[in-house]
Amino acid sequence: MKIVVILGRVLDPAGIVVNRRRGRIFVNREEYVMQPADACALEAALRIKDGSDAEVIALPHGLLPDDDVLRQALSMGADRAIHFVGQVAEQLEGSPLTYGDAVMARVLAAAVERLGDADLVLVGATTLDTGQSQLGSRLAEALGWPQIVEAWAVRVVGDHVETVCYIPPPLRGGLGGNPYAILEADLPAVVTVHPGALKLRYPDGTRLINVYRDERAVEVWDATDLVDADILKPLLEKRGQDFPPERERGVWLEGAPQEMAQALASELRKRVGRRA
Amino acid sequence: MGDSYLDLLMAQQEEAPTEGITAEGGGGVWVVADVVNGELAPVILEAFGAARTLADMLGAYVYGVLLGEGVADLVPTLYQAGADSARVADHPSLARFAVEPYLRVLSDLFETEQPEVVIFGATHAGRQLAARLAQASGGGLIERVVAVSLDEATRTVQASVPIYGGEYFEIVACPEARPQFLTVEPGAFPAPFLDAYRTGEPTLLEVEPVEPRVRVVGETEGFEPPEVPLSRAPVIVVAGRQAGDFELVKQLAAMLGGRVTGDRGARDAGWIEPGQVIDVRGAEVAPQVYVAVGVRGDTFHNAAIEGAGFVAAIHPDPDAPIFRVADLCLEADPADVLPALIEALG
Repeated sequence: MKIVVILGRVLDPAGIVVNRRRGRIFVNREEYVMQPADACALEAALRIKDGSDAEVIALPHGLLPDDDVLRQALSMGADRAIHFVGQVAEQLEGSPLTYGDAVMARVLAAAVERLGDADLVLVGATTLDTGQSQLGSRLAEALGWPQIVEAWAVRVVGDHVETVCYIPPPLRGGLGGNPYAILEADLPAVVTVHPGALKLRYPDGTRLINVYRDERAVEVWDATDLVDADILKPLLEKRGQDFPPERERGVWLEGAPQEMAQALASELRKRVGRRA
Repeated sequence: MGDSYLDLLMAQQEEAPTEGITAEGGGGVWVVADVVNGELAPVILEAFGAARTLADMLGAYVYGVLLGEGVADLVPTLYQAGADSARVADHPSLARFAVEPYLRVLSDLFETEQPEVVIFGATHAGRQLAARLAQASGGGLIERVVAVSLDEATRTVQASVPIYGGEYFEIVACPEARPQFLTVEPGAFPAPFLDAYRTGEPTLLEVEPVEPRVRVVGETEGFEPPEVPLSRAPVIVVAGRQAGDFELVKQLAAMLGGRVTGDRGARDAGWIEPGQVIDVRGAEVAPQVYVAVGVRGDTFHNAAIEGAGFVAAIHPDPDAPIFRVADLCLEADPADVLPALIEALG
């Protein structure tokens, strides 16, 4: 069985400070980490591999300037990693985003087809920085495969994939009180994995050293061999930034405890949001 | 005698292209409704508010699309919320959301209608449908939109999207690809006034049943998702020495879908484990919402929550240091506030 995992990177939020008054973002430490949801997708793939003879292949989410996340994947147990080079999509100035999921879905679909016989594609359900969740669905459409989104657990049973997913209360239908349900789809399929779904394993120390020493540990494919070079540019473009007003500290609520509780409840409801 | 400037101007206006702005098809701003428990999801009404604003700037019509079974009762709401025209697909195969049946109806519809802008709610269904339709049609998709404006020269929607949970926003546009797909964040746009005088006759769509490719097998037995580490928890409720009943604090955390922990006072009371103490020497946190119940807030505690997005504090002492870092201050005994708060949230 062949499992493909899509891995992206994100600027570590601990290294940036947003100054709303000045309308500026200060990057104190430019360090990229693997997207948390993608890391969970990798873990899900490795757990399937642990109990079978599956081959795990890591592909990048984006035309990344380096192959660091792919080497991390190899050190954690992936069998192959492929880095895309070629006409690198224009990185949007000052933005953590490339907004290139439409293009990447086509590149990745072509790569999955070239790999041949892939049974399962796992990808993070959402990105940490932008909260974008379109890559998995776009990839499923490009490949013509079924998709299951926001899985908390993934396993392969025979010729289908079985997942545990959170079903929002309004969509539970005939299901009982348990908010989690088992969803399944025939293979091949695309599954997006919820961030925080799985406890991640640590990389193997020896493997880590070897992977970073070996210049050829990561295979290199030219993206322009996979798709027409003309499409290698994002459909979306950044037009500017906007900053919310500075936080007002110390707004005191007045009135009886019940009135204060009502006001606090309404504020919390607004901020915690609705899960539907 | 030559035509006057006024004649020329009027002639130009008569020749102005009207293609793309007829209520019967072509172009337009489309809103795909999400039906939840037999009602329109609140975010859909908000989406109509955004659609109406954009359509007025574009000089286009707003179209509503409704999919489901037995949804005819909801059609008047589409018109009242701002739709100029509505399309309805009412069929048993659409009773419960599944990607493939919904996708077939929408892709057939949009292939015929060639919309300019398509808006979904950023819901479980909306996010999947928008991404798949965008990929199939070659359109651009801007997700989790919280504000919109228009580049009138190119008829391009410029949308604000939150970055790092709303620390700041990026304004993004899709200048070339059409249609422009958007998913709007719940609560970001005001719901429009429902004008009871706006009515219309919807166009019924033919539905060809399609078998969903994802099957719901059933409930899970005893599945518990792993606990989010405190450092990454988006909502944290913290008990302090003055919290009173810790069970109420736990109940509040459960209602907010957050983690419960405490300060050193809570640890001394035996409510929490030593490793869970919010303190620079213990756990530092950066949640979006932090509710401090009866926490006095010493220097080490307050430094550990510097990254918190929104802090609400309940404490009977108005001089408690926690109020210096709180966004919302409640000078009250938690024993009086918590029961009312839990009742209000329930």
